[in-house]
Amino acid sequence: MLKLESVRLQLGNFTLSDVSLTVGQGEYLVLVGPTGTGKTVLLETIAGLHHPCSGQIFLKGINITHMPAEKRHLGVVYQDYALFPHLTVFDNIAFGLKLKKKGPREISGTVSKMAQFLDIQTILKRRPRLLSGGERQRVALARALVLDPHMLLLDEPLSALDRMTRDRLRGELKRIHSELGVSILHITHDLGEAFFLADRLLVMKNGAIIQEGNPEETLKRPKDRFVAELLGIENFIPARLGGGGQLFLEGLGPGDPPVFPASPAETEKEIFLAVPNWAIQLFPGKNNGDIYLAMFPMTITGLDRAQGHMKIHLKHAEGEQLRTTLSWREMNELPTNLELGQEIPVGLNRKGIHWVPAES
Amino acid sequence: MRSFLGRRSFKAVFFTLSALLLILIAVPLIRMIASADPATLFTTMAEQEVISSICLTLRSAFWATIACLVLGIPLAYLLARTDFPGKSLVQGLVDLPVMIPHTAAGIALLMVFGRSFFVGKALGTIGLDFVGTEAGISLAMAYVSIPFLVNAARDGFLGVDPKLERVARTLGASPRQAFFRISLPLAWRSILSGAIMMWARGISEFGAVIILAYHPMTAPILIWERFQAYGLKYAKPVAVLLILICLIIFAILRWLAEPRKET
Repeated sequence: MLKLESVRLQLGNFTLSDVSLTVGQGEYLVLVGPTGTGKTVLLETIAGLHHPCSGQIFLKGINITHMPAEKRHLGVVYQDYALFPHLTVFDNIAFGLKLKKKGPREISGTVSKMAQFLDIQTILKRRPRLLSGGERQRVALARALVLDPHMLLLDEPLSALDRMTRDRLRGELKRIHSELGVSILHITHDLGEAFFLADRLLVMKNGAIIQEGNPEETLKRPKDRFVAELLGIENFIPARLGGGGQLFLEGLGPGDPPVFPASPAETEKEIFLAVPNWAIQLFPGKNNGDIYLAMFPMTITGLDRAQGHMKIHLKHAEGEQLRTTLSWREMNELPTNLELGQEIPVGLNRKGIHWVPAES
Repeated sequence: MRSFLGRRSFKAVFFTLSALLLILIAVPLIRMIASADPATLFTTMAEQEVISSICLTLRSAFWATIACLVLGIPLAYLLARTDFPGKSLVQGLVDLPVMIPHTAAGIALLMVFGRSFFVGKALGTIGLDFVGTEAGISLAMAYVSIPFLVNAARDGFLGVDPKLERVARTLGASPRQAFFRISLPLAWRSILSGAIMMWARGISEFGAVIILAYHPMTAPILIWERFQAYGLKYAKPVAVLLILICLIIFAILRWLAEPRKET
């Protein structure tokens, strides 16, 4: 459907460097990256609003690198929706149809159909200023979808909404995608959104795409510490990968150097173990087989209560600190109540742990 | 208690200073209008010279504004939307007519559009004469009042989110269509407000107009001439009449330019 080949762009102080990506027919591709990394510029470049210095963009096999934005038939929805404030909801949705010189009856029919699909029939006569965030988002989607675009480009479409509306509308996006079968490129910095919606995930940093894959794969195998942090991993244990396929957890003290097989091809190197919260097991029991990568005692230094879960801060005698989260149900299943200053056994579940290079 | 008094006295100082300024603006006008004898005013209104002079003034300023709308809106849009080398120089150039003495501006215009320079000569051969003509009056008015229009229009365009134009492009609008369907309708109140200011400034222009065209006589020149030749008594009714007409027209235009409450 969409293919970018080594697209480079210089925009003021900002650079997109050698961006290549593909979006398949009907695919939901989510691009994640921190704020200011160039996600919007990339999206606008695809839409034809900036022109690349080099590289090529293909849409349905046609080279559209130099095609003006108005000829690309790509629907764009921005974070703040960019609804035309001087036009009613109806006229906003009908904007593109009028430019195509469709007749009034056809415009009215098409707009009504789309309004019904997105459940906004009752607000067609209102001005955007008087709409709620959720309504604005639906209008922006309707305005883009009514033109039957080759693809939808969504720039953080849910981030301006409150949590409840956001949760409801991301389900709506999934419905639109499955019912219309439209290909979608969605950019966000919200991981929950990314994992909920993505068929495939792209990670962007400093104007370049640094990792791509399906969401589960990317979470399991983050390329470096940046990606791991972006994906929500909070614990990074400094370690050394031995030449003989051994692993030393340096931050957890020399007195108990757990040695485990790693990839035998690796030469000795400094690494971080990226440990997701769920891989930190409190009161692990016996390490029968290969369940745990390491087991050691840690002291509870903080217990932060939150809605539905408890955040637990742990500290090793040698200084290494870890954080994990337990649901209330998991808390109830623990053999003892947790208290500040209490020393408890901790195990690192092998399944969830992946190593990333110390320098990225 | 002290902070309450502090807040009150702060407001009181600002209120007093604002009131002084408003009094300074309003009192001379009120005094002049109030002191006008209605009978003399009606006689003045019947004077052909006065009426044609006021009409000429309003008309010349109107054409100056229309011409500058055509030329000034593209410039304002470029200043709002694009960055180019020398942009601050261009912005400074736009503001320049406000700063230079208007008689000096009139002389500068005369030197270019007078018959002694090739531009004036060339335009004269196609029938466009700027010395002692209505076109010359409009030119002088335009020259000194263009910053009001360009700056207001530029601010209007700056107030339009560029993303709206971008979305319009992705919905199939060419840059021209995005401008006429999105940017211009959204900036029009600022543009209208700037146009009203420009027109008003054009009407009141004296210095540049008198250099380029003493005749036909605009209202400010007529007031000045009557004041010089016959004194205050004869100049005042014309001045009052001009002020009243301008006040009525500006009140209507301001009302049109006011944003309406949406329902």
